[in-house]
Amino acid sequence: MATALPTRTATRCFRTTRPRTCNQHIHSRRAFHSYDHPPPPGPFGATETLILSAAYKHVPEHGFTHRALSLGACDAGLLDISPSALPDGAFSLIRYHLYTQRLALAAKSSHIFQGEDAPVGVGAKVTALTWERLMANREVIHQWQEALAVMAQPSHAPASLKELAMLSDEIWYLAGDTAVDPSWYTKRATLSMIYSSSELFMTNDHSPDYVETNKFLKRRLGEVQSVGGALGAIGQWVGFTASAGINVLRSKGARI
Amino acid sequence: MSPTLCIAKSMRLSCAKTRCPAIVRCLSTGSTSPSEQGSKKLKTLTKEQREYLSSALRVNQAGELAATLIYTAQTPPITNRHPHLRPLMSHMYEQEAAHLRTFNGLIHKHRVRPTALYPLWSVMATGLGWGTAVMGREAAMACTEAVETEIGGHYNAQIRELLEMITTWKQEGYDVGSEVEELVQTLRRIRDEELEHLDHAVEHDAKKAEPHWLLTNVIRAGCRGAIWASERV
Repeated sequence: MATALPTRTATRCFRTTRPRTCNQHIHSRRAFHSYDHPPPPGPFGATETLILSAAYKHVPEHGFTHRALSLGACDAGLLDISPSALPDGAFSLIRYHLYTQRLALAAKSSHIFQGEDAPVGVGAKVTALTWERLMANREVIHQWQEALAVMAQPSHAPASLKELAMLSDEIWYLAGDTAVDPSWYTKRATLSMIYSSSELFMTNDHSPDYVETNKFLKRRLGEVQSVGGALGAIGQWVGFTASAGINVLRSKGARI
Repeated sequence: MSPTLCIAKSMRLSCAKTRCPAIVRCLSTGSTSPSEQGSKKLKTLTKEQREYLSSALRVNQAGELAATLIYTAQTPPITNRHPHLRPLMSHMYEQEAAHLRTFNGLIHKHRVRPTALYPLWSVMATGLGWGTAVMGREAAMACTEAVETEIGGHYNAQIRELLEMITTWKQEGYDVGSEVEELVQTLRRIRDEELEHLDHAVEHDAKKAEPHWLLTNVIRAGCRGAIWASERV
């Protein structure tokens, strides 16, 4: 399909998608997910997807670089200069990885949650999904330190953080968490921290099947659970004592 | 007593008026439009529409949370001194708690971010409820009157906006999904229940609070500020 596309029309339709800046579509999600209406267009145009999906196959060998992009453009039957029209250059390829792997998680989750040893409970599901997402980096993990360096550049950091936030939102949502109080924020913030540190750990992990990363991830999640449990217990105790105190005062006739 | 009752009635009427054209249009296109081929054709929500719906759900959740906490805090001091108000207070509380559950469910379903000021609204609503209840029955009722007046107007504005959205879709030949239609129904039901609370408050001497004008205006200004902030963060 890719090679059949005439180059000229492809570049023309590319031009129409060109003016969309990066910032415009960063914020295109996380606002009112509708089940009736067709979804809004994704962050990449048709030609962008064509180039990026072809270039993605070259990432394990060439990394998230312009080299991979121009090889991808050639594979897609476009001029090898066409990737220079991508608004963020090599970062577009990184974002393509983050975006497609995040969306792939929904399909994988139904697979993970079926079967005999399926995780039970929100916590176990979060662990399983986070591990699944880490394993999606397996093919590109030797290129990932470079990608992290690109993502940390000041011009790309906001988009990268936004992707991280959407990933942890996706994981909590798929795990079936229904909290809509301030813990909504703390849950997403802690999972983002845990995920990014595990990812960093994984870039240096040479153990078979990344068992060390798995242990690292489970330790971090366990720590958060115990701290969260302790804070919850303290909060419960304070609340109980306060309401008991007020009720004692009321029983003494105080008009409060 | 009568002026506020009038407000409550005119609010319902004003929305009944906006409801009419939509119904008429729906009937007329239903009988004449040739595009009804069975399959549902829905328009993709624009970025502005999605942002509007998110901020609407977010502010409604914050408002119902505050209302629940106001009644929770008001109930002990009020029912201590006026045991006959116990059924009314628990009736109003239960309705607010049901509204909160509705919006909590919608926020989760549509993956909307809850307001970041949640803890602040919790503290302020509890303080407001307890403070007015300690001031006396009239002050507590004046608080209900002020809050529900603002909330009624706020829900009406949302319903009007959604009906406008629906009308535009119909004019362009698109169908209207059950999601938005159900949302309008839910908002109408909740709006009516809130205005019922307003009537109850006025029946129970809200107007006799001293000084009524100061109390209600301060609370109403606070509500408007809270709505403004919750729509944004």
